[in-house]
Amino acid sequence: MQRLISRLALASATAGGVVLVALIVMTCASIVGRALIDFGLGPVTGDFELVEAGIAFSVFAFLPLCQLRAGHATVDVFTSALPDGANRVLLAVWECVAALALALIAWRLGAGLVQKVGNGETTFLLQFPVWWAYAACSVPATVAVIVAAWSAADRVRAVFTGHDTRPIGGESVH
Amino acid sequence: MSAVEIGLWSFPVLLLIIFLRAPIGLAMLVCGIGGMWMVTGSPNIVLAKLKTETYSTFSSYSLSIVPIFLLMGYLAGIGGMSRALFKAAEAFLGHYRGGTAMAAVGACAGFGAICGSSLATAATMAQVALPELRRAGYAGGLSTATLAAGGTLGILIPPSVILVVYATLTEQNIAKLFLAAFIPGILAAIGYVLVIALYVRIYPHSAGRQPRMGYAERWQSLLAVWPVILVFIAVVGGIYTGIFTPTEGASVGALGTGVIAWASGELTWAKLWQALMSTAVATAMIFFIVLGAAFFNAFLALTQVPQLISTFVIEQGYGPWLVLTIILVMYLLLGCVMDSLSMILLTIPIFFPMMSGLDFGMSQEHMAIWFGILVLIVVEVGLITPPVGLNLFVINAMDRTTPIRETYKAVMFFVATDLVRVAILAAFPAITLFLLT
Repeated sequence: MQRLISRLALASATAGGVVLVALIVMTCASIVGRALIDFGLGPVTGDFELVEAGIAFSVFAFLPLCQLRAGHATVDVFTSALPDGANRVLLAVWECVAALALALIAWRLGAGLVQKVGNGETTFLLQFPVWWAYAACSVPATVAVIVAAWSAADRVRAVFTGHDTRPIGGESVH
Repeated sequence: MSAVEIGLWSFPVLLLIIFLRAPIGLAMLVCGIGGMWMVTGSPNIVLAKLKTETYSTFSSYSLSIVPIFLLMGYLAGIGGMSRALFKAAEAFLGHYRGGTAMAAVGACAGFGAICGSSLATAATMAQVALPELRRAGYAGGLSTATLAAGGTLGILIPPSVILVVYATLTEQNIAKLFLAAFIPGILAAIGYVLVIALYVRIYPHSAGRQPRMGYAERWQSLLAVWPVILVFIAVVGGIYTGIFTPTEGASVGALGTGVIAWASGELTWAKLWQALMSTAVATAMIFFIVLGAAFFNAFLALTQVPQLISTFVIEQGYGPWLVLTIILVMYLLLGCVMDSLSMILLTIPIFFPMMSGLDFGMSQEHMAIWFGILVLIVVEVGLITPPVGLNLFVINAMDRTTPIRETYKAVMFFVATDLVRVAILAAFPAITLFLLT
């Protein structure tokens, strides 16, 4: 199970990374096109819109890995004095809250998707429907919920068994 | 409870759950959603807001620069540029007492010019410089403290991820903020070099000396750093002259750095993937805090607490300089326990309106830029102040032979120059602003 979740998070982050690299290359191509406008080339139409939609997808796609590797910024100077057991409980509580929050985000993103399909909103230059971007983001948003749910369950299990699959100390690099 | 009371109560609640180890972005998100629910009396408004708010926060064009700069920094770490920078700086400085440590500071400054993150700068330069410092007979504490402090140059010298976030929050021009950060960044590097010179005079056994190099060798080593200079000029110059938008400039920099790393023969698929995964975790962390802050600040705006606090402070008739001093001291204290980005997102919506209402004898835009640079420096001090300086932890994890106590002791010298520099820059705004006029 842990390997499956880990692969899912890595696959999601890889997809986000590929999109990020594609956006960088596209932006550079757009600059070259704009510079060579006298030679019949031109900037990529709607490059702003592509960057916005693409970055949103990448960020959603990066969330599962961050969740799995406990990459979120925390303040642990006050809790580091507590025993391991207390820290396990705190971790479990916050991971459960995180899973609920991500589920809420994914659910409302879906509602937003329905709304954007309904009102037929399109972007200004490229005229592509905004709901395409919402639909694309829903996939990694769902993955984030799955990974966060597993992560929370794993931390809750650790509270009872005292056996951790991931470090509980705060010394990990944020 | 009235809306104002809910707004005021949210601060202790938020701090409490953050200190109980809740991820900072999550804590702000939960308090923001809960607070909005309480103030409006029903969940409907916040649920409606959630439909579009997450997507529109993540799809911000001005923040799209953040993951691109992060990737650029990680790629720069692969391409051997860090080594070239260190060798060049050592060729010029190595023969002075403490010269190898000074060279590490110089190399950090150079790396900071192509990397927007402190942690990445500290970690990358430590890989190159720590073994060299050891070989040259430097004491452990001095070596680790030098690199931790040098790492903060990554964010002081443009490009800088924190400044991008500050610019977005306060609706300022990113290019002007980058330009304004330049001289304070150079002053920081000079201050650190002076600290090392002083330190090795107080503790003569903490440092060694390298043989002096001839000028031919020196210029030769300088030639090897041309890619760094080229990328820096293309990115920061291009953004400032308006040839590029900031996102375009960052893209050119990331692609250029990738090409240089590839040309050096060190960029394998595995390393590229590693760089992308590191970018992924750091990006998700930053955007999640930004999302939490968006909800928390929307909630606070609903309660009108930020305006009330700012009006209150102005009506008390406190002098502007006193208010500024108190704000900066609060950042220093908060910086002992919290990371810089969270601090900025948490406090700027309160402090910035306050600053805008006070008269410092300069235009609103100049005040915003000058204040931004001061805040940038004080939050970066937090990265190297014990007990929770993230840079100290990163470096210490790379050098297990040096007890963290020794790093703490040596790093206080660097913290002292930071404080002196903040005082100078606060007293003489012209140092920060004259490049803009």
